[in-house]
Amino acid sequence: MHREFICIVCPNSCHISVEYEGTNIKDIKGDQCPKGRDYVKNEITNPLRVFTGSVLVENGDFPLVSVKTSSPIPKQYLKKVGEITRQMKVEAPVELGQIVARNLLNKKIDLIATRKIKKINKKNSLLS
Amino acid sequence: MAAAVACRQKGIEDILLIERGAYLGGILNQCIHDGFGLEKFHASLTGPEYAQRYIEQVIEKDIPFLLNSTVLNLTPQKEVIVINDKGLHHYKAKTIILAMGCRERTRGAIGIPGARPSGIYTAGVAQELINLKNYMIGKKVVILGSGDIGLIMARRLILEGAEVLMVAEKLPYSSGLPRNINQCLYDFDIPLLLSHTAVDIKGNGRLSGVTIAQLGKRGGVIPGTKRRIACDTLLLSVGLIPENELSRQAGIILDPVTGGPQVDERGQTSIPGIFACGNVLQVHDIVDNVSLEAEYIVEGVVEYLEGRLTKEREIKVELGEGLRYVVPQRLISRKDTIFSFRVNQPGQHKVLLFEEGRRLIKKKSLRRVNPAEMVRVKLSSLELEGIKRLKVRLV
Amino acid sequence: MKTTNNQFDVVIIGGGVVGCAIARELSRYNISIAVLEKEDDVGWGTSCRNSGVVHAGFNNKPGTLMAKFCVEGNRSFAELCRQLDVPYKKIGKLVVARKKEEIKGLKDLKAQGNKNQVKGLEIIDSTEIKRLEPNLAGIAALYSPETAITSPYLLTIALAENALNNGASFFLNTEVKNITKLNNSYFKITTNQGEFTSSYIINSAGLYADYIARVVGIRRYCLYPCRGEYHILDKNVSWLINHLVYPVPQAGAGGLGVHLTPTIDGNILIGPSNEYIRRKDNFSTTSQIMKMLSKEVREFLPLISPGYIIRSYSGLRAKQAPSSEGGFWDFVIEESDTIDNFINLIGIESPGLTAAQPIAQRVVEIINKKERLSPNPDFNPYRKGILRFEEQDEETKKNLIKQDPDYGEIVCRCEKVTKKEILEAINNPLGARSLISIKYRTRAMMGRCQGGYCLTRIIEILREHFDLNPEEITLKGDNSYLLTGYRSDEVSKPCKKKKSLSLEEELPVWQQQLPAGKKG
Repeated sequence: MHREFICIVCPNSCHISVEYEGTNIKDIKGDQCPKGRDYVKNEITNPLRVFTGSVLVENGDFPLVSVKTSSPIPKQYLKKVGEITRQMKVEAPVELGQIVARNLLNKKIDLIATRKIKKINKKNSLLS
Repeated sequence: MAAAVACRQKGIEDILLIERGAYLGGILNQCIHDGFGLEKFHASLTGPEYAQRYIEQVIEKDIPFLLNSTVLNLTPQKEVIVINDKGLHHYKAKTIILAMGCRERTRGAIGIPGARPSGIYTAGVAQELINLKNYMIGKKVVILGSGDIGLIMARRLILEGAEVLMVAEKLPYSSGLPRNINQCLYDFDIPLLLSHTAVDIKGNGRLSGVTIAQLGKRGGVIPGTKRRIACDTLLLSVGLIPENELSRQAGIILDPVTGGPQVDERGQTSIPGIFACGNVLQVHDIVDNVSLEAEYIVEGVVEYLEGRLTKEREIKVELGEGLRYVVPQRLISRKDTIFSFRVNQPGQHKVLLFEEGRRLIKKKSLRRVNPAEMVRVKLSSLELEGIKRLKVRLV
Repeated sequence: MKTTNNQFDVVIIGGGVVGCAIARELSRYNISIAVLEKEDDVGWGTSCRNSGVVHAGFNNKPGTLMAKFCVEGNRSFAELCRQLDVPYKKIGKLVVARKKEEIKGLKDLKAQGNKNQVKGLEIIDSTEIKRLEPNLAGIAALYSPETAITSPYLLTIALAENALNNGASFFLNTEVKNITKLNNSYFKITTNQGEFTSSYIINSAGLYADYIARVVGIRRYCLYPCRGEYHILDKNVSWLINHLVYPVPQAGAGGLGVHLTPTIDGNILIGPSNEYIRRKDNFSTTSQIMKMLSKEVREFLPLISPGYIIRSYSGLRAKQAPSSEGGFWDFVIEESDTIDNFINLIGIESPGLTAAQPIAQRVVEIINKKERLSPNPDFNPYRKGILRFEEQDEETKKNLIKQDPDYGEIVCRCEKVTKKEILEAINNPLGARSLISIKYRTRAMMGRCQGGYCLTRIIEILREHFDLNPEEITLKGDNSYLLTGYRSDEVSKPCKKKKSLSLEEELPVWQQQLPAGKKG
C-alpha cells in the first residue's frame, strides 16, 4: 500500500510518502527529520487523536459543555465516542477539567470538560 | 482580552473591554476542537480552554468589561457610543484598540447561481448552531471551500452523525492547514476535490442538490465535468473578512487586500491613537498569533499614551512579487518590527527579501510557503536603522 | 385554521401588493372580505421581487390603463405611504443615453411622458448629468423628478395589515384548488385549507391568474413567466449614485433594461435581466446573467466592482405577450363576460406596484356599480409600522431603551436591528413566522453578513416565543426547514429507545461511573 502524508509536527509540512503492508512499513520518502518519520510510523501503526465534542447540560448557563478525551485515543473510536456524547447528559455546575464520563467503551477513555458551566435556574428551558 | 491584559501588565489603569456577545471569548467558545495554544501556552487547548486562560487573567487583573453591549458608533475623536439593556452610553478614550475579529464570506458575496432554498450555511454559523446550541443542521452535507473552519466542521458533522459527501475547493490547492486536512478529511475518508466549485443549487424549500464542476487553469468550468450531488445541506467555508464597519464609520483607511486597517509597525491605524490587532487587522490562521499580535501592539499603545510614539520619517512598505499583502503597511519609526505576509501561491524553496533600493537588508529562506499559512518575520531596529525605503518580495 | 363555512362577500385570490391593496380599498365598505394566499406571508411573489420603483409613467403607451394608473398611482403614492407608515423617497430618475443614436429615444420618451401628463420631464446634457451623478457616464439623459422609491414588501405588508385592521380576513398557506358556482349565485372555493364561499371573486393571483381563470373555464388568458435577475450591492457603496439610473429602452423589449436602483434601505440594485422561462416557480439565478449584469452595469458606472455584491436574486414578471412578440400588453382589469361577479386582473406587471392603488380603486368601482356598497364608518386609513431604532435620534434611543430594554440588544449588527423590532416582527398581525417574514419586516439578515451573526439569535427568539421544535423553524414556510432537530439524540427522541449501537452493552459503563451527583 502507498500513502502520502503531510507531516504536521512542525510548520515545514513535509510531504512524506510511505510504502507499507498492514502496519509493516517498507519505505519512507520525503521526511526531513526523525520526528517526521516517527509521526508517519505512528500514523500507520497506531494513529491517535484527541476527541473533542460536547455534552448536554441540565440547568446550565450554556446548553452544552464542550469536552475532550483526557488523552489521545485510537482513531477508530472517534465516531463511537461521538455517538456516546450525543446520548449523555450532565448536571450543572461543571468545572473546567472535571471528568464527566469515565472508561468509555471499556477502553479507559475519559471525557473531561473544557469549559466551565454555571448552574442557573431556568424555568422555561428550551430543552426541557 | 489579550490586548486588555497586556495593557494592564504595562501599567495602564483605566481600561474598558466592550463585548457585544453574552460572554467573553467570542468565537473561541464555539471552536471546541483542540490545537490552540501550542505556541503561547505550549499545550494543545480547545477554544474554550484557550479563552478561559484569558478570562481568568481579565478577572484576576480586575479589568472592567461590558457584555451584551454593542458599539453603535466610533468617532475619530475616540469616542464610542455603546448600547445595552441599561441604556445608551458614551465613552471617551485616549486610545482605542480595535479587536472586532472577522466575519464569514457568504453565498451572495461569491455569487453561487441557482435557487435559494434553506440548508445553506456558512461554516461558522453551523458551528455555532451545533457546538453552542445543540441543533443539528442537516444529514447529507457538501462543503464548499477548504478553509480551516470548513475542514473542522467536516469532522464535527461526521462525529455528530451526519454524512459529509465532499469538500470542494475552487483553487488547485487547499486553503486550510495541512494538520486539518489530515485529521478532518483523511481520517474520515472525506474526498477533497481541488479545482472544483458549485455552479448550481437546487431546491424549492430545503436544499435538494448542488451541482459541482471542475475548473480549468483559467478558472472556467471544464465542459462535461458537471455533476449533481444530492444533499440537504451546503456548508460554505469561503473566506473570512475583517469586521471593519466601525473602522470605516470612523474614517479609518482600510487595506483593500487584507480588509483590515492600514497600520504602522505598532498597529496604529490612520487615526492616531486608534490601534488594531487580531482578525480585524488581518485574518490569522493560528489564534496564538492573534494573542501575540495584541501583546505586540500594546507597546505602541503605551508609547502613544506616554507621548513617546513619535514619527520619524514615515515610509511605505512596498510590496513586490510573490506576496499578496504585508502588515504593517507603513513604518513610522525604525524599531523592532514584526512583519506578517501572505504569499500568492504555494511554493517550495523560496526566499523572502527585504530591500532598500538595491541594498539587501534581510533575507529569509522559506522551505515551503502556502497562502493558508501566514509568514511572520521580525526585523530588528539595527536592521531597519536609517532606511529610507523598504520593499519586500518573494523569489 | 377555519375549515368549514367560510362565507365572505368577496374573496380575493392572491395576497400580492394588488390583492392587498384591493382588500384595503374594499375594507372602506361594509362587506366581508377574505384574502387567500398560498404562501406563508403576503407579497412573496412578484411583489417582493422587483426594483421597488414608483414610476412616473413615461414608459407606458398613452391611452393604456398602464399609463393612466401609473400616473395616478405616482401622484397618490406619497400620501399612501404616509398613511401606512411605509418608507418613500422621491429621488428622481435619469434615463441615460450613451450614444448619439439613443438621443431620439429620449425625446420619444419625453413626448410620451408629456402625453401621459407626467410632470417635470426634462432632457439634460452631459454637464448636468455630471452634476447630478458625478460617477456616471452618459451624453444626455431624460430627467424625471417625479420617480420615487419605496419598499415593495413593506408596502404589501402595510396594505395587508391595514386591511386586516379594518376587518378583512387573511388566510395564509391557502392554495385554491377548485372553484364552482352554486345555484348560479355563490362561488364555492375549494382550497387545501377547506372551503370558502363568496359572492365575488377577485382573481389577483399574479403569475397564476391565468390558471385561476382556467379553473372557472375562462381560457382566453395565458401568462408567461419572464425572469429578471438582480444583484444587491453593499450599503457601503450607496454613494455611487443618487438617482435611479436607466438605459434607453430598446424597441420591443419586455423590460426597462438593466438599471441601477438605489433602494429605500440604502443598497443599490443592479438589474433586472429579461428572460422568458418555462416554470413559474423558478427563481434561480444563473451564472450567465449574473456575469452579464455586472458587465452591462459597468458601462454606466465603471466604478462598480463585483466585490460590492452581497446577494443575487430574481423575480418573475407575469407577461401576457409571448416571447416571440415581447413588449408590454395592457393590464386587464375586468369582470368576466361569461361568469358574473368574477373579476380578473391579468398581466399586472411593471408598473403594477405604482398602480396598485388605482387598480384596487378600479376593482371597487366595478363592484360598486353593481352593489352600491355602504361605507364602513370605522375605516381607519392609518397603520403604524415597526419603529426602527436605528433611525431615531439619540435622545429617543435612550428613552426607548429605558421603556423597553429589548431595544438595548442589537440582534442584527449589519442593519442594526434590535430585539424589540424582531419581537414586533414575529408578533405581526398576519401571523407569518418564517425567517423571510422577519427579514422583510425588520431588515435583519439583509445586510452584508446575510444572517451570519444574527441567525442563531433569531432562531432562539422565535423558539422562546412560540415554543417551536427546532424542525418547525423555516426559512420561508412549507418544506424550508432550517434545522433537522437537536444534535443530541436524547432530547430529540425522548420516547424512542436508544439506537441499537454495537456499544449497547457497554453504555452502562459511563452511566455507572459518572461522578457523584451527575446523572447520565
